[in-house]
Amino acid sequence: MKILTCPLNGPRNIAEFTYGGQVKPIPNPTGATDQEWAHYVFYGDNHIGVVREWWMHTPSSYWFIVERHNQTDEVLRTFDPAELFDAGASSANEPARDDS
Amino acid sequence: MTDRLPLPFGSRIKRDAPVRARFDGRELPALEGDTVASALVASGQWVISRSFKYHRPRGPLTMAGHDANTLVQTPAAPNRLADELPIAEYPDTTAQNVSGSLMADRNAIIDWFGRFLPVGFYYRAFYKPFGVWHWWERMIRKAAGLGVANLSATPHYQDKQYLFCDVAVVGAGPAGLSAALQAAEGGASVLLIDEQPELGGSLSYHRFAIDNEAVRSEAETLIASVASHPRIKVLTHALCNGWFTDHYLPVIQGDRMFKVRAKSCVLATGSSEQHVVFRNNDLPGVVLCSALERLLNHYAVAPQGELVVLAGNDQAWLTAFTAAEAGLSVAAVVDLRDAPEDGALLAEARARGITVHMAATVYNARRDSRSQSLCGIDIYQIDAQGEVGNLIAEYDCAVLAMSAGFMPAYQLACQAGAKLDYDDDRAAFTLTGLPAGLLVAGSVNSMDSLDAVLVDGRNAARAALRCIDMTADEDEPIICAAQVNHPWPIFPHPKGREFVDFDEDLQIKDIVNATRLGYRDVQLVKRYSTVGMGPSQGRHSALPTARLVAQATARSVSETGVTTARPPVKPEALGHIAGRRFHPHRHTAIADRHDAAGAQWMPAGLWGRPAFYGEPNHKQRCVAEEVMAVRTGVGVIDVSTLGGIELRGPDAAEFMNRFYTYGFLKQPVGRTRYAVLVSEQGVVIDDGVAARLAEDHFYATATTGGVDRVYREMLRWNAQWRLSVDIANVTAAFSAINIAGPDSRAVLESLGCSIELSAEAFPYLGCREGDVAGIPSRLMRVGFVGELGYELHVPSLFAAGLWDAIIEAGAQWHIKPFGVEAQRLLRLEKGHIIVGQDTDGMTHPGEVGLDWAMNRTKTDFVGRRSVDILAASAPIRQLVGFSLDLTAPKPLEGHLVIKDGDIVGNVTSCEISPTLNQIIGLAYAHPDDANPGDHIAIRTEGGALVQARVEALPFYDPGNARQAL
Amino acid sequence: MSLRSPLEGCGVIEGPRGLLLRDLSLARRGGVRGAGAREWLLSQGHTSPDAPNQIVASSESGFVMSLSHREFWLLQPVGEASTGRPASEAVASGVWPLYCQHSHAWLQLAGEPRAEVMAKLCGVDLSDAAFPLGSVAQTQAARVSVIMAAHQDENDQPVFSMFVDQSLARYLWEAIEDAMAEFI
Repeated sequence: MKILTCPLNGPRNIAEFTYGGQVKPIPNPTGATDQEWAHYVFYGDNHIGVVREWWMHTPSSYWFIVERHNQTDEVLRTFDPAELFDAGASSANEPARDDS
Repeated sequence: MTDRLPLPFGSRIKRDAPVRARFDGRELPALEGDTVASALVASGQWVISRSFKYHRPRGPLTMAGHDANTLVQTPAAPNRLADELPIAEYPDTTAQNVSGSLMADRNAIIDWFGRFLPVGFYYRAFYKPFGVWHWWERMIRKAAGLGVANLSATPHYQDKQYLFCDVAVVGAGPAGLSAALQAAEGGASVLLIDEQPELGGSLSYHRFAIDNEAVRSEAETLIASVASHPRIKVLTHALCNGWFTDHYLPVIQGDRMFKVRAKSCVLATGSSEQHVVFRNNDLPGVVLCSALERLLNHYAVAPQGELVVLAGNDQAWLTAFTAAEAGLSVAAVVDLRDAPEDGALLAEARARGITVHMAATVYNARRDSRSQSLCGIDIYQIDAQGEVGNLIAEYDCAVLAMSAGFMPAYQLACQAGAKLDYDDDRAAFTLTGLPAGLLVAGSVNSMDSLDAVLVDGRNAARAALRCIDMTADEDEPIICAAQVNHPWPIFPHPKGREFVDFDEDLQIKDIVNATRLGYRDVQLVKRYSTVGMGPSQGRHSALPTARLVAQATARSVSETGVTTARPPVKPEALGHIAGRRFHPHRHTAIADRHDAAGAQWMPAGLWGRPAFYGEPNHKQRCVAEEVMAVRTGVGVIDVSTLGGIELRGPDAAEFMNRFYTYGFLKQPVGRTRYAVLVSEQGVVIDDGVAARLAEDHFYATATTGGVDRVYREMLRWNAQWRLSVDIANVTAAFSAINIAGPDSRAVLESLGCSIELSAEAFPYLGCREGDVAGIPSRLMRVGFVGELGYELHVPSLFAAGLWDAIIEAGAQWHIKPFGVEAQRLLRLEKGHIIVGQDTDGMTHPGEVGLDWAMNRTKTDFVGRRSVDILAASAPIRQLVGFSLDLTAPKPLEGHLVIKDGDIVGNVTSCEISPTLNQIIGLAYAHPDDANPGDHIAIRTEGGALVQARVEALPFYDPGNARQAL
Repeated sequence: MSLRSPLEGCGVIEGPRGLLLRDLSLARRGGVRGAGAREWLLSQGHTSPDAPNQIVASSESGFVMSLSHREFWLLQPVGEASTGRPASEAVASGVWPLYCQHSHAWLQLAGEPRAEVMAKLCGVDLSDAAFPLGSVAQTQAARVSVIMAAHQDENDQPVFSMFVDQSLARYLWEAIEDAMAEFI
């Protein structure tokens, strides 16, 4: 079983994680054409190379981003989404747990 | 029974511990430590089984559990390997795949007309005329079946356990031992795994030199150092049955499967000795040299009769010398080569009086009709590759030990992605392209002299240490010049029966014919001929097959290659994979109270929920009574499984507004709102009620099955939006109880409630926080079942106490607990949908009448654009309510709605309503038929179409007056 | 009003070599989460781990467990759970109280073979060398999410505290009981 390294929890069995799809830019929901919107919703890139993906460490409900080569399945880097999405809002995306 | 050899022969047996055993119904004397196969050979019997296709007699080939010839039946299970089964634990075994008796199998006649059963015969015969296959199938299954499964066997306890180490070493032969010791000395924690019961591998049976004494003492020292090393954990009798990504190894030992997590891994899996392909090479009594060595050294069994050794390398000569020392009558060494590499072997053979035939082979073996085993061989001169000249000798020998070379035990390495390349000079496959952290050492790495093997093990350990950032000293230089493989130990005979694959009864012509029929690729040859598909998984057939296919298709052996290796390495019982049952089940904090009240349980995801209360055979009456209690008095239901998500912070309202379809910015504190969630595709995926407890505090419910997804999506969206809001899944923290019915307010008041409960002070859709019966509660007025009702959400440790208080206080109003069945019926009467039951993976809001919940004045919500696009396109279906008279056949969920012969929708919910005295339901209908008074045709059980009336929703209390009381 | 543990009636399971599984679900615990959570903890006189997934002893024979840079649980094995309304309003700006008293059951496993027992359920190496005292792992055991914490109990014996969704507490208890059987 593959091991994935969670930026918060360290290396763990891949079974502890939930896949969340590719990271892709969202078109402007009012400005985009129907075709552009449909392409965003239904299509994914299928090129060979490094892809960015959403993964969540299930026991801690922590989302992070994985850079993975989809041919070798080698994970090059995992990091907190703040790196991509930090808009300066006061609260960060930190793990909230399945519970409290 | 012949006497066993004296010490040091017989390392596995206890001479003073006889075992009373039986094989095939006959007494079989044995010793503790014997396997079924060693006891049989000791008693003078080579025959253990009949072959799969031709029912030819077969005996042990490897004595290591690596061939299918030894498959036998135990009382509990078929297809166990007699050369692995400890006879003390399995004293009663029988032959399998036998018609009549083992020694006189009626189906052996198949062997005589085998030429009518060419390779792939079942693909090409038996299918004409139409239907004839069914007749043949019965015959073939009867003839070709193996053992018999014991259907009444009770499964025993099998489980799994993780094991962690820095370096896992698979194989405890000389390479594995030296690798383990080197890695442990370097500071790593080491797990050493071996299939056999003792450490040592080939050291436990093989002779490495003419004078083996030095090797023997070196081996003892090495084994003792490994066994006593504090950082080495040893697992013997343990099979590493696969390699999975990042060094995840399933290791089976007894009834347990270890899930080994290693940081790096050394494969010292050794190699499989190869047979020579000649006519009747499958006769019982024809064994690999290593098998004879195991019989002698492990079990002190000296087979009766003369021995001839057929050598393709120097190592086989050493087997002859060991046998001679054990007192066997060694008639001859027949060597495929022109001369041995080590000339001293010739002198030693001469000194021992062993006749030597160089550049010769066994061309034909003869069978004794009484023992069904080997009784003689014909030796021919080799003229050219695979071609023989004159007969030069005949021997009436009972045992033939052979060694054509060694094939790396490549399975684990190839599962990890390694490739096999054929080295023409050495006539051997070598492994390349291993993934990071995976090393091979010893004969699997084509190292054949003992010195080289030991060095290779240490070097592999050093490499493994470096892979895990531990320090290791310099590699030692390594020299291995030995040639152990003969390039062409294959001798076709005009009469055939030169077996390439013993498991599947495949001869030279079967492989060659497959290529002539166009199956040139070795993968296709495998599928067509079934070569390598048997239990031994190509250990002995892969190399000759590759050579034969290469020759027949005029390619190199490297180009031909071998077929893909996949886990498991050896067949494994499904019980090992299943292990212990881990089936998580959740129950609410009140579950025992439901049990006490006679609940009948139903699953809802991982949860157990009461379906109804009462006798199972009175279900309909019980549900009807529960429904009537809610409609006319008061009922109570445990809704703790409802999801709960808490959103707190200055941006909580903004988050709700972006996430759900409705508007939440202006939602007043103390009020609830219906919260619908659509996916980015515009599909309805969840719904719930959102209570605003404070300006910066929302408490939203979600469906039982959907809450985990809703919570996940919330966190993912906010990882992008980065709003200042704390999102918490509080499903477990809060338990919930719904009190519903006209008397619910009275019950609540009698409990002692710190909140003013009048309709004016606490109206429908309101939410309040206060104490009920002294318990801190959140109260919501909801209308799911269509009556005056209060949903009480309390911290979970209080839930049982609250339930007890409600049941006690409600007694004077005859309060009744109700279950999921009644709740579903009650909400159906109100026309409320259940997301997931009345919606599917395509349902958009307009189809289920939720357009009103789409707030189009706010800027955006998740899925908004898709909802708009769908709403602008022509509708193709509409969820409608329908009714039928009680006399009509009741449609079931999933029954189809038909219009003009086409399917236009399906029934999603349907019940008999005791309140309304008719059948009511929800179904997707064509938009033209979606108005009250229209009719839709539903195809019910058996195909009958019934015409149902489309009704306005809700069916019950159309003015919604009762829930707002 | 009395509180009831989700493991009521399970008792304790004892075995040789100090093996002991017990229920601490009614022992006192709470938690805070938010950007300023750590500062708030320190201002209240608590000790705080400086990295996620650690547990340290704090005042009043209690522990502070960090689950991220901004989430902390306060554990008091010898304290009793409050019967009052759990706080839900911010204790300081951007610091939110958690409901871990009610959301999670608290199981505690003591004894020398405790890591071997858990190796039958959990894919994280919990041996002393890999998971020393003070370690915390948010992981899965017997296929359900569990927070594992290695610390010392009131008698200075090393133990694992395990926190699991209260609705799964009985399931996990039975899974551990089964895993312990071969050691008893």
